[in-house]
Amino acid sequence: MIRLERRADLPRWLNWAIPIGSILAALVAGSVLILASGNSPFSTYSRIIDRAFVSSGAFSATLIAATPLLFTGLAASAAFKMGVFNIGGQGQYVMGSISASAVGLAWGESLGKGVIPLMIMAAIVAGAAWAGIAGALRAYLSTNEIITSLMLNYIAANLGSWLIFNSRSYWRLLTGSGLMFPQGKRLPETSDWPLLGLGSVSVPFGFLVGMVFAAGTYVLYRHTRFGFEVEIIGDSPAAASYAGMRTRRKVLAVMAISGALAGVGGASDVGDFRHILDPKGLGQSGYGYTGIVIAALARLNPIAVIVVAVFMGGLDNAGRALQGPGFPAGLVGTLQGLVLFFALGGEILARYRIRRAHHRIAGPVASALAPGTDSPGGGRP
Amino acid sequence: MNANLFVVIAVSAIYYGTPVLFAGLGEVLTERSGVLNLGVEGMMLLGAVSASWCSARVGGPGWLVLALSVLLGMAAGALGALIHAFAVITLRVNQTVSGLALTILAGAAGFSSYLANVWELKNPVRHQFGKLDVLGLKDAPVLGPLLFNQTLLTYLSWVLVAACSWYLFRTRAGLHLRAVGESPQTADAMGINVVRTRYVHTLIGGAFAGIGGVCFSLSIVPTWQDGMTAGRGWIAIALVIFGFWRPDLTMVGAYLFGAFASLSLTLQARGVKVAPQLLDSLPYVMTIVVLVMVSGGWAKRRLGAPAALGIPYEREER
Amino acid sequence: MSTPTLPPPAPPAVLMSGITKRFPGVLANDDVSFEIRPGEVHALLGENGAGKSTLVNVLIGLYRPDAGTVQLDGTRVELSSPGDAIAHGIGMVHQHFRLVPTFTVTENIILGRQGPLKLRDAEERIRALGEQFGLAVDPTAKVWQLSVGEQQRVEILKTLERDAKILILDEPTAVLTPQEAHALFDTLRSMVAGGRSVVFISHKLDEVMAVSDRVTVLRDGRNVGTVETAATSQRDLARMMVGRDVVFSADDVEDRPAIDHDRVVLRTVDLHADDARGRRALRGVDLEVHAGEIVAVCGVAGNGQRELAEVICGTRRRLKGQVLIDGRPTVGTDPRELIALGVAHIPEDRLHTGLSPSASVEHNLVLKSYRHAPASSGPFLNHRYIRRNAGELIERFDIKTPGPQTPTRLLSGGNVQKVLLAREMTGTPILLVAASPTRGLDVGAIEVVRGLLLDAARRGLGVLLITEDLEEGIALSDRIVVMYEGQVAGVVPRGAADVIEIGLLMGGKA
Repeated sequence: MIRLERRADLPRWLNWAIPIGSILAALVAGSVLILASGNSPFSTYSRIIDRAFVSSGAFSATLIAATPLLFTGLAASAAFKMGVFNIGGQGQYVMGSISASAVGLAWGESLGKGVIPLMIMAAIVAGAAWAGIAGALRAYLSTNEIITSLMLNYIAANLGSWLIFNSRSYWRLLTGSGLMFPQGKRLPETSDWPLLGLGSVSVPFGFLVGMVFAAGTYVLYRHTRFGFEVEIIGDSPAAASYAGMRTRRKVLAVMAISGALAGVGGASDVGDFRHILDPKGLGQSGYGYTGIVIAALARLNPIAVIVVAVFMGGLDNAGRALQGPGFPAGLVGTLQGLVLFFALGGEILARYRIRRAHHRIAGPVASALAPGTDSPGGGRP
Repeated sequence: MNANLFVVIAVSAIYYGTPVLFAGLGEVLTERSGVLNLGVEGMMLLGAVSASWCSARVGGPGWLVLALSVLLGMAAGALGALIHAFAVITLRVNQTVSGLALTILAGAAGFSSYLANVWELKNPVRHQFGKLDVLGLKDAPVLGPLLFNQTLLTYLSWVLVAACSWYLFRTRAGLHLRAVGESPQTADAMGINVVRTRYVHTLIGGAFAGIGGVCFSLSIVPTWQDGMTAGRGWIAIALVIFGFWRPDLTMVGAYLFGAFASLSLTLQARGVKVAPQLLDSLPYVMTIVVLVMVSGGWAKRRLGAPAALGIPYEREER
Repeated sequence: MSTPTLPPPAPPAVLMSGITKRFPGVLANDDVSFEIRPGEVHALLGENGAGKSTLVNVLIGLYRPDAGTVQLDGTRVELSSPGDAIAHGIGMVHQHFRLVPTFTVTENIILGRQGPLKLRDAEERIRALGEQFGLAVDPTAKVWQLSVGEQQRVEILKTLERDAKILILDEPTAVLTPQEAHALFDTLRSMVAGGRSVVFISHKLDEVMAVSDRVTVLRDGRNVGTVETAATSQRDLARMMVGRDVVFSADDVEDRPAIDHDRVVLRTVDLHADDARGRRALRGVDLEVHAGEIVAVCGVAGNGQRELAEVICGTRRRLKGQVLIDGRPTVGTDPRELIALGVAHIPEDRLHTGLSPSASVEHNLVLKSYRHAPASSGPFLNHRYIRRNAGELIERFDIKTPGPQTPTRLLSGGNVQKVLLAREMTGTPILLVAASPTRGLDVGAIEVVRGLLLDAARRGLGVLLITEDLEEGIALSDRIVVMYEGQVAGVVPRGAADVIEIGLLMGGKA
């Protein structure tokens, strides 16, 4: 049996050692799986690294894959910081992309690139509103936000799919091939978000926007009264209301911020990559859920979310590029899951010391054999 | 509504409701012990892929292969649950995050898909659960198709609903389980092993979710597809709340869900046009409504939400 | 101090020897030996933090000691889980009851037993047992519907139903009136008369003298000595417990604060409020606190004292009545209003309500002032001021912390309370509402906190001191207000304080 003992203090180096250690441990565990499937872990991993970060165009593709994750990761970390478990990032992402594509379709031609900020604004409103449903229920009726935000994911997915497959909506292509196969209307090219060249790497505009939002979230949570209140409410709601903080409003506000961040991810989805409303593709992506994993790996730090999103995006990108014989689908997801579990375990390692608990410490054997020697607890100070 | 339409809807309600019923029952037991496992979707897929492999690759008489498939599916689901149990019970990792991690690890783009690839599960399974004709009564009016023409898995689910109800409310082990979910401190002081109770019921929950997955791969969609459970794991979690943490009401919820899931097809076949997404959304909306209704301390106490749900138990802390 | 020299007539019911138990940073039990004879009430006396709870938690199998052995009736046993202890006939009534609120009395009592579930039979058995020992409760009632006293009976029935030979009670009178406590003592005496042993944990000397046959005193995790109750006195026990002669008393307070009778800093008129469960907790409370005056509110826990403090400080909604601060009426729905009016508040749950446990010391020190300059300007925090403010207060109040950024929960109880007091006393408060401000602190910290309360009154604040410790109330206050069932049962001025009279008021008997 294993027992845990709370550490009194948290050594600084663990902040770095945990994520890196957990990634290494996950790679080792993953290599067992790869070996079992008759492949060489070394060549598999080097192919992943090559296709994720090294080979020509790989990093650009990785940034594309990382952009949605950056937003959903920020969304999750913004809410989890206050102990509000918004797992509705997926639905808020979908709502963001529905509203941004509506704006793009409506004003893309007339406004040119000027439509981009409008798309972002629309996505912020839609994402915040969608998350606000769960937020308001939690704040004013103390309804568990985990389940409500989750349920809202499916409702949003159904809404998206209805717009394209079962209605004659504004988003749907009702001419040409659209009559045969239900699909979304292509947004005018003027509403496409630019790719910015940075040497050989092209950076999606959405990724830059995400970095700005990450910095903004960081400042908001670290340097403002709002962030102070979020810290206190997240740690002890009783202390917060004792000090006169408006905890309900904050729950709603944090939920809305979180939803807005996920929503902008949806706008970037339309503006940067898909350029149509594609409910099926959105559904399969699962960005909202991966975002939670990213937030956890980044230990809810918005700046670290950028790094982790690029890492996970790299895995996704490589997984997609390499899929085929000798590279089973699902390997990348498995690796991501393993990294997360090892990181979660490592997090505990940081907060606790692990002791092997021996059932018979006080028993006759221990005391008879070893009078005066330290009991097998070991690592105590 | 004429009797015929009712029967058609009820039959498909049972058909689509059975997998979520299994998974929901398992989650009821898990949550009753105070552990929230959001990894149901992943565990269902693990169960589905293992059973799929067993049915495709293991030789022998059909009944034996099917039995083995179910057992293997249960074992796979329980194995997934074991990861979660270790993380949240022993390491006291946040239960929400761990459950999501399990879904990512095992889910549609994760380990279940990896296994299916490695095992090359491309063809339809060789054995699957067909509908039985019990006592030759399948054509009896109304009750025939409902009660006497189901798959073995459905009959198994009915047995499990009764067994779980009895276990939870009529046995000492059930009393202890509920005590662990309500107040682990009290249970511990009374000599009940909190850690073991939570492990056992998290694993049982995983095994049940595994059977839920088997329903998909050996009955509903007999050819492997990545992510074939299509989000039903989340429905199972909602069902637990919808059913107030009770097996019998969970069954009602599962069949309601099944009815809604199939209603649009049924109605369409009869020329009634309803957007399927609207009907699909109803179970989710209903879950939110129920959740709002049970919010607040009084209702929770009456309706059975385990008081210690989601809270790690730590004995030796000062 | 030595253990008794006479050999016990029979093997001791319990013999714990050389028990050592460490927690990170704390040596909770240091080579403690402890013996209980059959048929005795044995008091375990000690200040908070002396190691009493740790020792009994070892005996009930909840903690495993790092060293030491336990013998029952002369046989060595291993108690590696509460189940083991129960099987060996050891039963415990915890201070915080171990009951499942949603279960019935019967379900709670039979919890953890084996065999088929026969609730009807068990109900009958429990009814009979209750009648036999004078512990009447309805076996079919849900526990959350019971009063605190009834819940304690359920706890005792639980041990009796398991035929416990050794019954441990942890501060059982904290939730009882003096009269109820005496009824409990009678029950305990009848139990030991039947050959059982009772371990009675307390830090109240008079109770220990009244109920026990022998007393073991713990201090700083060590056994200071075991004495026959008949051969000792309260004074001797006090010296053993504290390690010196001085016990804080009313006589120690020199230059008592001067009361400004013309300035009423707090007046409540006909206050009504519900508790967290929606039951009526306050039924028309009228009281006054003058500037420079300390008013103690005494009573058995759960008679509305907590709610009174919360209503005054705006963290609980009042249903009816008025709260006037310095003559000004308040709305009373927003703690900010009261903070702005100069009401300082030390809540009962200081670490989780008064402070944010995981937040840093420096953040906790601006928990109420962060909204305004200089702690913040516009929407932004002024980190530099926050750090400087922490440095000053840490020095002025002698707060022992590794640094201003240390999470507050890592501090010792006394220093946690100092952080809270330091913050509440900054600015210009006119009223201090302190709920059980010394509970759970060690002796040194208690004196510091009491000193700070007196200082506050000397500065001209009115102090409303809510305490369950009658001695503390008598020693510190100018007037004692006794609460019973949400009403003021009586007001006793300083000098006229008589423990028996107050006890009767606390039990609603006057």
